[in-house]
Amino acid sequence: MKVPIGWLADFIDLPTRDPYELERILVSLGHEVEGIEEFGPSFEGVVVGRVEEARPHPDADRIRFCRVDDGTATRDVVCGAWNFEAGAVIAYARAGSRLGTDTDQPLEVGSRKIRGIVSHGMFASARELGLGDDHDGIMVLNDLGAATDDDLGRPLEEVIGLGDVVLDVSITTNRGDCMGIRGLARELAAYWEIPLRDISPSFPTGPEPSAFEVSINDVEACPRFVAHQVDDVRIGPSPLWMQLRLLAIGQRPISNVVDVSNYVMWELGHPIHTFDAEAISGGKVIIRRAEEGERLETLDGVERPLAAGDILVTDPSGPIALAGVMGGASTEVSAKTTSVLVEAANWHPPSILSTSWRLGLRSEASARFERGVDPNLSALATARTVELVAMTSGGMPRSGAVDCYPIPRRPWTVDLTARDVSRLLGPAPSFGDALALLERLGFGSDRDGRSARVTVPTHRSDVTRPADLVEEIARLHGYDRFPDLVRHGSRGGLTPEQLAVRRLREALVGAGLTEAQTLSFIGQDDLDALGLPLEDPRRVTIRVKNPLREEEAILRTTLLPGLMGAMSRNVARGMKSVRLFETGRVFTARDDPEDPRIPFQPVHLAMVLSGSGEDAFAATGLVDLMARVTDRKLELRQESLPGLHPGRGAVVTCGTTEIGMVGELHPAAVRKFGLEGRIAVAEMDLGPLVSGNPPWMLEDVSAYPPMVFDLAFVLADTVPAGRLLEVVEESAGPYLESLELFDEFRGGSIPDAHRSLAVRITLRAMDHTISDGEAAPIGRGIAAAVADRLGGVLRGSI
Amino acid sequence: MDLERLAGVIRDARARIEAASDLDELSAAESETLGRRSEIAVARSGIGRLAPDRRRDVGRAINEAVGTLTAAVEDRRSALQAEAENVLLEQDRIDLTLPYGRPARGTHHLLTRTMEDVCDVFRAIGYEVAEGPELELAWYNFDALNTPPTHPSRFESDTMYVEPFDDRERSGPDELLLRTQTSPMQARFMEKNPPPVYVVVPGRVFRTDTWDATHSPVFHQIEGLAVDSDITFGDLKGTLAYFAREFFGVSARTRFVPHFFPFTEPSAEMLVWFNDEWLEMLGCGMVDPNVFEAVGYDPAEVTGFAFGMGVERLAMVRHGITDIRHFYDSDLRVLGQFR
Repeated sequence: MKVPIGWLADFIDLPTRDPYELERILVSLGHEVEGIEEFGPSFEGVVVGRVEEARPHPDADRIRFCRVDDGTATRDVVCGAWNFEAGAVIAYARAGSRLGTDTDQPLEVGSRKIRGIVSHGMFASARELGLGDDHDGIMVLNDLGAATDDDLGRPLEEVIGLGDVVLDVSITTNRGDCMGIRGLARELAAYWEIPLRDISPSFPTGPEPSAFEVSINDVEACPRFVAHQVDDVRIGPSPLWMQLRLLAIGQRPISNVVDVSNYVMWELGHPIHTFDAEAISGGKVIIRRAEEGERLETLDGVERPLAAGDILVTDPSGPIALAGVMGGASTEVSAKTTSVLVEAANWHPPSILSTSWRLGLRSEASARFERGVDPNLSALATARTVELVAMTSGGMPRSGAVDCYPIPRRPWTVDLTARDVSRLLGPAPSFGDALALLERLGFGSDRDGRSARVTVPTHRSDVTRPADLVEEIARLHGYDRFPDLVRHGSRGGLTPEQLAVRRLREALVGAGLTEAQTLSFIGQDDLDALGLPLEDPRRVTIRVKNPLREEEAILRTTLLPGLMGAMSRNVARGMKSVRLFETGRVFTARDDPEDPRIPFQPVHLAMVLSGSGEDAFAATGLVDLMARVTDRKLELRQESLPGLHPGRGAVVTCGTTEIGMVGELHPAAVRKFGLEGRIAVAEMDLGPLVSGNPPWMLEDVSAYPPMVFDLAFVLADTVPAGRLLEVVEESAGPYLESLELFDEFRGGSIPDAHRSLAVRITLRAMDHTISDGEAAPIGRGIAAAVADRLGGVLRGSI
Repeated sequence: MDLERLAGVIRDARARIEAASDLDELSAAESETLGRRSEIAVARSGIGRLAPDRRRDVGRAINEAVGTLTAAVEDRRSALQAEAENVLLEQDRIDLTLPYGRPARGTHHLLTRTMEDVCDVFRAIGYEVAEGPELELAWYNFDALNTPPTHPSRFESDTMYVEPFDDRERSGPDELLLRTQTSPMQARFMEKNPPPVYVVVPGRVFRTDTWDATHSPVFHQIEGLAVDSDITFGDLKGTLAYFAREFFGVSARTRFVPHFFPFTEPSAEMLVWFNDEWLEMLGCGMVDPNVFEAVGYDPAEVTGFAFGMGVERLAMVRHGITDIRHFYDSDLRVLGQFR
């Protein structure tokens, strides 16, 4: 909310006008200041002048020749405006003055010949002076009550009082009472402990009371409705001082009645609506909820469908305003209006919120009603509006307002104990000081020893409990004044799972992979691109009801699309080698075993690798690395898997659990992601991989030398190397220290569809040196097992 | 051989040894001067024929000569071997500024690192780390956190909901949404753990925000919660000021100003003085009694504080990043700078 400092000064004697000091204080009270700007002139060298003479230009029909007194001399000016006569006090932009100095291209005003007559400068319109949109004629200052003959020659900005500093204050949603200048002034008055200078509107009245009957059908919807009729209104511009304040707060001046409504809303924080009283039929106003199917043309000319629950102001002919949100077109105040019905009503905040959001009609008024407006303010707001309408339009108010307030809101009480305060705030402030702080904010207190009955003023609907009072105490006491105490807990460790995830990330980064974070959303196209069959579990997805884009409408069931997108972008940027991994949650449609109310959302780890030398082995090697980091035995079961190269993919198992897959992406999928070449991938469920292990125990090492020997076998291609290693390991006996597959060979004497695989076996005993004689039977035993279980033929002899 | 003659032989032999220019020459010299047919060897074999009174002196002199010359040969041999090796080593010279053999190393994502950093700051003072589901019940995300049923943050313009995917009816508090904050873990954690509670919760959160330099539909937060029998507002301030010093540097100053959140009362915002300006860094406050009631704690028995901070914001401020999209685009030129 824009807050001109000069306007605050209407309500309090400001001890300072330094905007930065005011900012500091407002912020300390919880009212964030988002900006400070000066509402100053956008012109230089413009003075007040009086038109001495205005007559038609001798050589042109549409312009006039004028003579102007600028306080020092009388000069000739040619003017195209016709909204003034001799005697008008106007804004005179002398030769050498500049207009639009807040823009990139200010206008330099000079002397120039117009149809044979030299015009020394010009008369300025409001728009040319940056003081509104009006460009129908020049600014006639005496008509606007802004200047008189006494001001001739004085700088315009000084005469009309430009230069106020405006604070842009952000009001939190709980503080509807601060959505007006008066409300913020009340906060500052409490801070400085100075009195608030409140307004007390007064105006003349005619003999007749307001000729309207008001009935409220739903008191929850409308706790209060105050209306006051003003007759003999002449619609015209509002006085310049009012226009300038509205301009300072970013509101466009429109006409006296509309400007007064906006002005009062800003001043008091209470939205005001004005009707053309003669357009309301039947002399009757009924407040009710809308029924489904009703429609109303709002004053922006749009016919709007209403929803059940919208609050309406109606007359016997139908809806005339969408309460708290926007008025109706049929009763809008227009230039022809002569009688105005001023309304200050109180509306149910959640209903206003729902209507304004549904229709996308969020306004200054709805922003206030959404936060809640004190119904006890409605009478003052009505009176203030009537006073200003009468003052600015010459209107005559009726003798009294119609005030429909079935259940008046009265101040309520909250019982507060000293312990309520000290258990949240500590020893200071004392209970007595705390109550004194509340009193400064307008709360009443009736103390009885260690407790007090606190009376809450009706504008503080956000305060209903002791904790709410404690916040008020803390706020005014000053957050800065509380001590800084570091609060220690008692458990700073990571769980084994958290530790394992960290170590996995460290290992992969150490292995040259870069961690990515991709979105949690994927699109149907992504699942299609991976070539997943319809029955694939990754196709059992949950859709976002309100996605930002269709490509991001599904909650990810796999991390691969996000990583593949990242890879594509990097390759497109010219990266030759891309190695990425991500850990993150995927979303299943199964129940979470620990909380069946929500779907299971396991954490996955996935990687994608492309570039020179990146193939399925790079990925299986990294899976092996993960096995070593997590101290798990991960096994590969090679098979044709959806989305993967049919000959280069394997299921990863941990014990009996399948935890994921590894291999190369199917070339068709690679192309779908706009890429080429081999792309190695792996994706695993981290849960089984990182669950807690007992601490590992050191195994003793032998002081004796190893016995190393190589064995080569001819095996059918159908026998995986992994099987050979398993069989060797199982048959090598207790001295096996390590086992390495070091050669794969085809051709030569090896039959077709066979290959030679060579393993290096290292044996070592804890208590003696293993001799050749001892190793030979072990080697023969291995060879026998390989022959027996895998059909392998030993090459050479032992 | 008389002793004078011996001195001459030694001098000549030493000269020969030292003149040897390679190992072969040295071997020849060794053989000539110390070998079986060398003058010294001959002389040594003749000692027995000397008069008894001279045997002793001549014998000692010859032995000394052999020792001296043998040492000279070894010295020369070492020198020649070193020279020969130096030649080989010179041939073995390489340019070590050639960038060969550098081990690959990737980088951690800055958001992961930042979350770990923040968690570690709190772990150091005894807070445990917990994580929670991203697809969450409206109850935990809103209701348990004292957010009114009509609050605009629940609207689809702020919060992402999901379409029905099984035969269950989910509405009101049971509705599933992508959590808009890590705060739901406050309620989940307290439901499962009796007080005292000291925990931080890092995680991914979601809002219906379109992309720009400071908004992303996916982002990260870290929630913190301390509940005990005697926690006051001063504990909140001091603990978060400690965090700011640990995270931004020991000179980081903090300021707390009132704010509004539905789930804390009193509420505050912490500003941090960094790079010559006050920056809004996190929201915090004393846990609202309604939250305690929602999770089955007795608000008369416990008090506590809670806070929530944006991980992207922390990282952007600390590392001078001005566009949030850098975190999610996975551009290796950017990721590679994360350290």
